[in-house]
Amino acid sequence: MQERLQQLQKDVLTSLQKAKDLKSLQNVRVEILGKKGSLTEVMKGMRDLSAEERPVIGNLVNNLKKEFENSFLSRQLQLQQQDIAAKLASEKIDVTLPGRRTASGSLHPVTLVTDEVVEIFSRLGFAVAEGPEIEQDFYNFEALNIPKDHPARDMQDTFYISDDRVLRTHTSPVQIRTMLKHKPPIRVIAPGTVYRRDSDLTHSPMFHQVEGFLVDSHVTFGDLKGILTHFLNEFFGDGYSVRFRPSFFPFTEPSAEVDIECVICGGKGCRVCGKTGWLEILGCGMIDPAVFESVNYDADKFSGFAFGMGLERMAMLKYGVNDLRLFFENDLRFLKQF
Amino acid sequence: MIVTYNWLKEFVDFQYTPQELCDRLTMVGLEVEAIEEIGGKLDSVIVARLESVEQHPDADRLTVCQVNTGAEVVQVVCGATNHKTGDLIALAQPGSVLPGDFKIKKSKIRGQVSQGMLCSEKELALAEDSPGIMILPTDLSLGEPVFAALGLKDFQIEIGLTPNRPDCLSVVGVAREVAALCEQDLNLPVSKLNEIDESIENMASVVIENSDGCPRYAARMIKDVKIGPSPDWMVRRLEAVGMRSINNVVDVTNYVMMELGHPLHAFDFRYLHDGKIVVKSAQQGEKFTTLDGQEHSLVAEDLMICDGQQPVAMAGVMGGLNSEVQDDTSTILLEAAYFKPTMIRRTSKRHGLHTESSHRFERGADIDMIPVALDRAASLIAELADGHVLSGMIDNYQRQLDPTVVEVCSKNTQNLLNISVDCADIKKMLESIGLQTQDVDGSDCLQVTVPSFRPDIEREVDLIEEVARLYGYDQIPVTMPVGTVDAKLPPQRQLLQKYLRQTLVSAGFSEAMNYSFVAEDSLEKIGISASDVRSAQIKILNPLSEDQSVMRTSLVPSLLETVSRNLNYRSSDLRLFELRPIFLTQPESEQCTEKLSLTAVMSGQREPEGWSQSSASVDFYDIKGVVEDVLAKSDIYNVSFDSNDSQPYLHPGKSCQIMLGKQLLGYLGEFHPEILARFGIDQPVFVFELDVEAIITVAGKHAQFKALSRFPDVIRDSALLLDVSISADQVMNFVNKSKVRFVESATIFDLYTGKGVPAGKKSLAIRVCYRDLEKTLTEAEVGKSHDKLIRSLCHQLDAEIR
Repeated sequence: MQERLQQLQKDVLTSLQKAKDLKSLQNVRVEILGKKGSLTEVMKGMRDLSAEERPVIGNLVNNLKKEFENSFLSRQLQLQQQDIAAKLASEKIDVTLPGRRTASGSLHPVTLVTDEVVEIFSRLGFAVAEGPEIEQDFYNFEALNIPKDHPARDMQDTFYISDDRVLRTHTSPVQIRTMLKHKPPIRVIAPGTVYRRDSDLTHSPMFHQVEGFLVDSHVTFGDLKGILTHFLNEFFGDGYSVRFRPSFFPFTEPSAEVDIECVICGGKGCRVCGKTGWLEILGCGMIDPAVFESVNYDADKFSGFAFGMGLERMAMLKYGVNDLRLFFENDLRFLKQF
Repeated sequence: MIVTYNWLKEFVDFQYTPQELCDRLTMVGLEVEAIEEIGGKLDSVIVARLESVEQHPDADRLTVCQVNTGAEVVQVVCGATNHKTGDLIALAQPGSVLPGDFKIKKSKIRGQVSQGMLCSEKELALAEDSPGIMILPTDLSLGEPVFAALGLKDFQIEIGLTPNRPDCLSVVGVAREVAALCEQDLNLPVSKLNEIDESIENMASVVIENSDGCPRYAARMIKDVKIGPSPDWMVRRLEAVGMRSINNVVDVTNYVMMELGHPLHAFDFRYLHDGKIVVKSAQQGEKFTTLDGQEHSLVAEDLMICDGQQPVAMAGVMGGLNSEVQDDTSTILLEAAYFKPTMIRRTSKRHGLHTESSHRFERGADIDMIPVALDRAASLIAELADGHVLSGMIDNYQRQLDPTVVEVCSKNTQNLLNISVDCADIKKMLESIGLQTQDVDGSDCLQVTVPSFRPDIEREVDLIEEVARLYGYDQIPVTMPVGTVDAKLPPQRQLLQKYLRQTLVSAGFSEAMNYSFVAEDSLEKIGISASDVRSAQIKILNPLSEDQSVMRTSLVPSLLETVSRNLNYRSSDLRLFELRPIFLTQPESEQCTEKLSLTAVMSGQREPEGWSQSSASVDFYDIKGVVEDVLAKSDIYNVSFDSNDSQPYLHPGKSCQIMLGKQLLGYLGEFHPEILARFGIDQPVFVFELDVEAIITVAGKHAQFKALSRFPDVIRDSALLLDVSISADQVMNFVNKSKVRFVESATIFDLYTGKGVPAGKKSLAIRVCYRDLEKTLTEAEVGKSHDKLIRSLCHQLDAEIR
């Protein structure tokens, strides 16, 4: 009997190892422990054994059964893992195929730049104001110290709707409209569409500007330099020199043009900056007393500054766009890049 | 305005290099736009001596020259005939690039080596024409660059002047600024005038009839002039500042204008009837031919210079053909005058004549410069054209203008600029640019007398600007403003625009920006009738082109153009939107309303092209979904879609109005194929238009939270057999408005017509979700509710359960 059991132990372990899949493993189990299984047969034969033999053999049988169960389970686990591994191996995909994306849209670069400029000035306490694009002569010119026949109108070739209405040539009329409605202190930024009668490689008859102004008691030219230097550092990043140089606008005095060290060549001189190393970026100045007079502000009590910049130019510099016309051609291949 | 480095040096002794000079000028407000070295690229054209000149062995017209460069002797083949052994010539060495991008290379000409080229004046752009090569003076040293050796080296400096600085429209004006920068004296040119006994008073007279337009008119006379070419130095100077040489007399007037800034005019005296000058307004409709040969029809506002009979010059703008200086002119009447800026400006604009002269007069000439410029020009004409200057000057100065006197206080200067300057500093700065100052006793103020060359200075702030300029903007300290900040959140109008843009971008749309002006017939092209309110378009009086002549009242035509263009660029899956104003007006009314419109178009495939995506095309329900999203993001619910009315440019069966109760919010649909064909588009395009102003008024503030149920939902599906005319909205409205208990939500999940469904009917499957906040619903409760709902639905809409 003991020999038979030893033989059985050998056979069992061999057949477990021989089972190559879970199904045949299950068959082995039936062969061993099923109703007519070899071990079942042994256990059935136990009743024919003597009282002395029975516990010894019983013990052996139990051990054998336990051993079988353990071996079976580990073999089963092994085969299961093999199966999973084989399944996973068969499911390998090409991870380099592109993923499924939803159609993605884009904001116009002028909108992006407008939002960014407004954002920076909002943090400095500037509120956003708007005004009409068809503007009265008074707001667009007269109140800004640009009387009829003033040579400064040379700089602004204007689209006329009627004798006294124009497509606004700048966002500065928003300054007048705001100051007529509100008393200082006042900090306002006014982005918007403007029009000039000029169309070539570097001029578009419609483009966008941002006007900003601040009026309070004791505002100085130093404050103007401070705010705009801060703005340019935020917009283009730190590390570009900024310079203010005298210029002329009818509605500011003293007036300045602001140049930033060329963001394309870092000031070394390139095609974009005309080899000067500087980019003209902003016009600004202290608000002219004549403007205060037309909005009934007391020029002895208040002072302020105003500035304006072209948003397409800012976008061109920021994104490296080299052709102004692209902004209004609405070619999706262009729009989708932003 | 162009000046040259050397010309400036005649008037002020400065030490700046050309680049330093330009930087300083820019920082003082005279922005240098370009600087160019005259002959700058020609340093390899050097002085050399001809050691021998021999006939070319194989060419009759060529010579073979041995040329001494000072360092070596090279051989050059030359085709000229005016050179001989011993001459100093200009040798362009191999590698030189002459004007006109003419590259000089070492070569072989008919078998003879030629190491360079002997240059003519023309080849070096020193003359318009030259008979042979340039023979140089004998005292030059070999090997030196020719331009430097001849003293021709100079720098053209182009300044972009702001319109407030007419004083700098001259070399002397710019020199005055340079003198202030380097704290040197300004040396004005001195005129040496040898007048003959004969007096101008006996020969000519000047009458000013319009003294408002011409407060001062002065004249000098020069006789026995010989008209001829100007000397080289003058020709080069004029060319360097952008003027063409005409003849010695005209060149002098131009030279003095560039030098001193005051325009002058020379008349041929023999053509002035009665020897008389009369300054008066033109006769309306009178014809006048300017010296460029153009005939102009004058208006009464034009100020004219006339003789005893007729106009002879358009004042301050251009002379007349009838009194022009000619080759045989011998007596000159030289004019220097002051004309009212606005008058010159209008005349110049009216007749389309913008000249160097009108440019200066319309910005404000210097009335005190008149006699100085006249004397300077007369002396130069006498010198260069052998003329004799008659004694005396007619100076008709009827309305003497008082000099402007302005006070400037150091306190105000300090306050505005945030710099510490006292009266003495200010005095020094202002006097350096030619302003006279006087202390005002017992105050921190100065009284400043403004010279006539600075018409831009009228107020204290103008003087403060001068101080800032001369102090240096870069020296003013950088500070941050202190004060009250009243920063509120952006208003709803601005926020909403931002949300609308964001929603569309996340739905895959790209933002377009088209011009606000379009062709007048653009509405007709999309089938909008003349009686439509949108047909009252605002016209631009002076459009750039017919295509940009009216303000748009709809964004649709521009977007269709955009679609068409993109299809041509082979982008066929399009999602584009514009959020821009339209410009509406009432017919015959002056009033204009600018209303924001949001218009979006969609065409092509629903999903981006890819290896696993479906290739279904977008349809009505895709664009409708976008509209629903946009409205939901604006917290606008209960919108209805009314197909009874839409737009002429839309497909009549696939379009509708978007309504909120009785308020029209916009339109939605597929474009009419005929309209698309007009734009050359051959694939379906879908569009929606929303009136953003209306959206702003009805947009909800923010979402309102609804309590969540902790209990499970129960779903019931039913398929209804309905008449095809019953809309989904009718079904859903009924369900949503029904008072049946426990209904949480309902959706349509299937639509079917075809086999098994009778003609004229459709099968619509709805899924209703039942749930209660307080308890788990029993089968019985749900069954009762659903039965009730479906029964009343069938009754109301004449439906059957399928």
